[in-house]
Amino acid sequence: MWRNQAMSENLKNVLLKPIFKGNPISVLVLGICSSLAVTVQLKGALVMALSVTIVTGLSSFVVSLMRKSIPNRVRIIVQLVVVAMMVILVDQVLKAYAYSVSKSLSVYIGLIITNCIVMGRIEAFALGNKPGLSLLDGLANGFGYGLILVVVAIVREILGSGSIFGFQIIPQAVYNAGYMNNGLMILPPFALILLGCIIWIQRSIQKDLQEE
Amino acid sequence: MEYISLFVKSIFVDNMIFAYFLGMCSYLAVSKNVKTATGLGVAVIFVLLVTLPINYLLNKYLLQPGALAWINESYADVDLSFLSYIVFIAVIAAIVQIVEMVVEKFSPALYSSLGIFLPLIAVNCAILGGSLFMQEKEFINVGESAVYALGSGLGWFLAIVALAAIREKMAYSHVPKALKGLGISFITVGLMGIAFMTFMGITL
Amino acid sequence: MNTNSNVYTIIYTSVLVIVVAAILAFAATFLKPAQEANVKVETMSKILAAAGVAQDNLSNDEIIALFYNEVAATLTVSAKGYDAEEVVDKDGKPQIFPVSYLKVQSSLIAKGQQDEGKFPVYCFNNGLKVVPIYGAGLWGPIWGYIAFAEDNATVSGAIFDHKGETPGLGAKIAEKPFYSQFAGKSILDEAGEFVSISVVKGGANGSKNGVDAVSGGTITSKAVDTSLRAWLGAYRNYFLACTPMPLNENVEEPSNE
Repeated sequence: MWRNQAMSENLKNVLLKPIFKGNPISVLVLGICSSLAVTVQLKGALVMALSVTIVTGLSSFVVSLMRKSIPNRVRIIVQLVVVAMMVILVDQVLKAYAYSVSKSLSVYIGLIITNCIVMGRIEAFALGNKPGLSLLDGLANGFGYGLILVVVAIVREILGSGSIFGFQIIPQAVYNAGYMNNGLMILPPFALILLGCIIWIQRSIQKDLQEE
Repeated sequence: MEYISLFVKSIFVDNMIFAYFLGMCSYLAVSKNVKTATGLGVAVIFVLLVTLPINYLLNKYLLQPGALAWINESYADVDLSFLSYIVFIAVIAAIVQIVEMVVEKFSPALYSSLGIFLPLIAVNCAILGGSLFMQEKEFINVGESAVYALGSGLGWFLAIVALAAIREKMAYSHVPKALKGLGISFITVGLMGIAFMTFMGITL
Repeated sequence: MNTNSNVYTIIYTSVLVIVVAAILAFAATFLKPAQEANVKVETMSKILAAAGVAQDNLSNDEIIALFYNEVAATLTVSAKGYDAEEVVDKDGKPQIFPVSYLKVQSSLIAKGQQDEGKFPVYCFNNGLKVVPIYGAGLWGPIWGYIAFAEDNATVSGAIFDHKGETPGLGAKIAEKPFYSQFAGKSILDEAGEFVSISVVKGGANGSKNGVDAVSGGTITSKAVDTSLRAWLGAYRNYFLACTPMPLNENVEEPSNE
């Protein structure tokens, strides 16, 4: 039985760690660039999260398949080519089947190539592990990344536009009583401040992550 | 489009960090003190300034729809734009590698201060972002793309040096334990971003 | 096998590049029709929006059906104004011109060759005519569609779009507060002379030929102003030529033929 206790423990670790304890954004500080600019609305954030998850998972898988044959000197370039290929495929599919979203994400889809989480997982995990496990690791990290994106986007869209997925959820009566959308939430800097607060909350719960 | 207006806009209004969050990973990781921040900032300006005009020419004469018409009219409807990401990133990675080798060979002093940042830069979003924005903004000539590269590089430089200076001072202040380090850095960058937004009102 | 030798490295990278290029070329060719259809539907949707046709929550197919239902014909005309001709696509439907076509036409205007241009006019069944405009904004191209009422001088609606204007500033030209100002404005002054529509600060005050510029987006507003002047100028002779008879034969049903 190869699927012994240690193995399933390992699998569980690969799947669950990136979501909270080793979250790529809030703990490892990877891939913040593209994440924040697309969080004004939930729809864009969701598509972005999905794209990053797919790219991270598939690139980890492919690189892991090739890991024994890659010449060491051109390792980084080979990895970049694989990642760039995945991103172009995602971009082309979005342009064909989700045109309006792809238009609103503009250059940020392309920037997934330089998203550190993709390269980070390839270097740290896929180069030393079997393809199947690497795929799961990539997907789980993408998911952990997407989770933060979605949380930030939900807060920004509710407070900034009073809606979710573009549907009004704050009733008109509240506006009539004098409530106003918080215009600050829509501005780019507020994504950073919200992220700071998320990290604050997480580190208050998990004291071992606090910095000296 | 006037060069000066383009230059000022790309430094302040369309700042790579505060308006587009590009290159945040290394921005937060290397902003603990002013000296290293300056080194990385200079390296970013330099690499942007080299790669952007090259990618501009590649885009104009190879990638954009109809770009191949200069070879032969019959190639006019060839559209290679789907290859742009891969070409841009390959150019950036190659240039960074070449620059690193040249600097190491001819100026060991510069290499010891700048060289360690060069590998970091190949995967810095600000560099690829510069090329992608260049493609989207459809500049008219190489000069404009170079001015844009210089402006956005300077903007990035300013942002990282300013944050490093603030973080040096912040080491002495009483920040709640859970907010220390990363958390407070994010909030600081957010506040700096709000300050930078006042530049949006300027008329150019 | 030595994975660090030069020969191996070169062969490995060459094979990789060929494989990747093949996959990408295949994907791009395979997905191209769907991508082009999206661009076409977007253009249709903008033209319909300029003409004030509501299209909330419609699918792509519904927008296409609605467009062909509303639009009687597409004409092209040069700045000379009397050489309007109907153009149809390969299915015999009114032709749709993408933004890249406008770019080519715009460069003709810039070179002073507007008499050789073929500027599109989308003629609606209800008598509205929608014409495009195109120009260079602060960062990239801006374009728009202006709908004219049957008198060929009064604007009934307009819509603008852009590629990369600064969000919150120049990008506001694509938002309702800006483009809704155009309804009811005229391209003719009191004396009936062509003056275009100017986009200036405070320009909306009482004037039927001006709208307010977007605040903070000076260069973008100026670009809209310049493009309007250039493109509407190119259509002036055509509008003059067909104004005395609002029910122009080109516009009407093919019963005249």
